[in-house]
Amino acid sequence: MSQPSRLRPLKLEELLRRNVWDVDEERHIEILRQDGLPQKALQLLCPMGCYSMAGDKLLMSYEGCVECGTCRVLSTPQQIRWEFPKSGRGIQYRYT
Amino acid sequence: MNKFDVVVVGAGPAGSTAAYLLAKAGLKVLLLERGRGAGSKLLWGGKAYAQPLRDVWPELDKEAPIHRWVTKERISVLWGERAITLEYKLGRRVAFTSPLTELAAWMARKAEAAGALFLDEVVVEEIVVKDGRVVGVRSGGDFVAADVVIDAEGANRLLLEKLGLADRPNPYHMAVAAKEVISLDPRLIEERFGLERDEGLSWLVLGDVTLGIPGGGFVYTMRDTISIGIVLNVGYGAEAAEKGVLRDHISRLLENFRTHPYFRHYWKEADVIEYGGRMTVEGGLRFAPKRLYANGLLVVGDAAGMLVNAGYTIRGVDTAVTSARVAAEAVLEARDKGGFTEENLRGYEERLRKSYVYKELVDHSGVAEIFGDPFFFSKVPPFLVRAASKVFEADYAEPTLLEALKTSAQEEEINMLRLMLKVGRVVRRI
Ligand SMILES: Cc1cc2nc3c(=O)[nH]c(=O)nc-3n(C[C@H](O)[C@H](O)[C@H](O)COP(=O)(O)OP(=O)(O)OC[C@H]3O[C@@H](n4cnc5c(N)ncnc54)[C@H](O)[C@@H]3O)c2cc1C
Ligand code: SF4
Repeated sequence: MSQPSRLRPLKLEELLRRNVWDVDEERHIEILRQDGLPQKALQLLCPMGCYSMAGDKLLMSYEGCVECGTCRVLSTPQQIRWEFPKSGRGIQYRYT
Repeated sequence: MNKFDVVVVGAGPAGSTAAYLLAKAGLKVLLLERGRGAGSKLLWGGKAYAQPLRDVWPELDKEAPIHRWVTKERISVLWGERAITLEYKLGRRVAFTSPLTELAAWMARKAEAAGALFLDEVVVEEIVVKDGRVVGVRSGGDFVAADVVIDAEGANRLLLEKLGLADRPNPYHMAVAAKEVISLDPRLIEERFGLERDEGLSWLVLGDVTLGIPGGGFVYTMRDTISIGIVLNVGYGAEAAEKGVLRDHISRLLENFRTHPYFRHYWKEADVIEYGGRMTVEGGLRFAPKRLYANGLLVVGDAAGMLVNAGYTIRGVDTAVTSARVAAEAVLEARDKGGFTEENLRGYEERLRKSYVYKELVDHSGVAEIFGDPFFFSKVPPFLVRAASKVFEADYAEPTLLEALKTSAQEEEINMLRLMLKVGRVVRRI
């Protein structure tokens, strides 16, 4: 543990704490059908880690979403309903 | 406010350029953006090639939020703790770094100053078609009529898909990036990277930063921040995840990159101040929609597939600006001809085909081939690094370069002839 904290890999939760969101009460992304979803790909490639497993089911938490569209490209409209958050809500990038 | 000459959807580089030029030419322009302010939904590497931007804004150098002029380009091949790095010192200032949040906000301000009406926090839900022509856009219950709509919605083409002009993209034509912004004193940036006050560096990293999955890592120096990121092809990344080759979250690859012994000294005491992700286009022309124009409609920027992913560099902003400039010229031409019919807007595609953007897209098709060939990411980096290690890490007499290459190829189970053929084919079109 002699390494200063900045030289050790930060956990995703720690990285997310750096950001600003204005979270909508309404969810803009929703799993409609579990069948055939690439579970591992969604968990590992969604940059914000919005997909996780609950038992054998995939769970989607829209709060940390940055609206990148990756999960959309990895699914069909029947599997995932995907919209942009309303009225400027969602991620508020500042220095990117 | 209900009737405009032009409605532009999306205040990214493409949308703001089109709105700026058309408002300046005296048209009544509405620029709509879903984010809070322009740029708040955008993230990139980031460097922009300046000349295509000066073609629109000659005052660019004085006014734009230019952080640093790129004077050093580096490419590294990394495998394990070993790395090979090539550095090129530029002789001229051609590209500058800036956060895209800032650059896009500046472009939207230019459009507003030229007379365009800018409305943010508006998600356009539909491009409305009536009797075979685009007549305006709809958001919530509101309809706004326009003589011509310019679609600058970026890579997530919800509107074009709804119109049937594009399909859901092929995952192998897309890449997802995770990026961090690291805050560092400008003087330390300059000292550590060997830069003068307004000079910057752009650095591409290939190899096991992506575990050999098609993609790469990048580093760009801004004025007082550093942008670092990992890009993965979505199709190959998903394959690797499902097969168990990729076991860690993409943010972990990025953190391993940031804390890698070869890199971490540059920013050792600096803090990460923002983390984000965005998707980009790798398919080039294969991502282009079925049509770039229709009755009352033009498609520009990423949405039109106007992004050059030349492996060592992504050029999406200058090409977005240029496609939008060409579109604006076509709109003015159509107006002079008497209306925004498909026939009158044809000049857009014709002009585009003559521009450098199209030439680049066609010429760099070899890059799409690289991204279609995982061999270049999983096999070539360890092979090169192994050969270098034989040359530089010999306790006694080192082998000749040719010997080192030959034995490394054997050890990595690479067929030299196949490698040469592939490299030859790609180099001609990179
Ligand atoms: C990781 C990464 C690194 C990159 N690095 C570089 C680089 O170093 N250099 C470079 O030149 N390019 C780079 N690019 C590419 C570059 O960012 C894009 O090509 C460029 O931003 C495209 O501009 P655009 O205006 O076409 O689209 P965008 O920039 O995507 O803008 C689209 C705008 O439209 C808005 N919008 C979308 N849909 C709607 C809707 N329905 N209603 C209202 N508004 C909407 C969005 O919020 C957004 O503001 C990079 C991209 C990524 C992802
Ligand atoms: S859009 Fe991007 S950030 Fe949002 S859930 Fe999908 S993959 Fe994650």
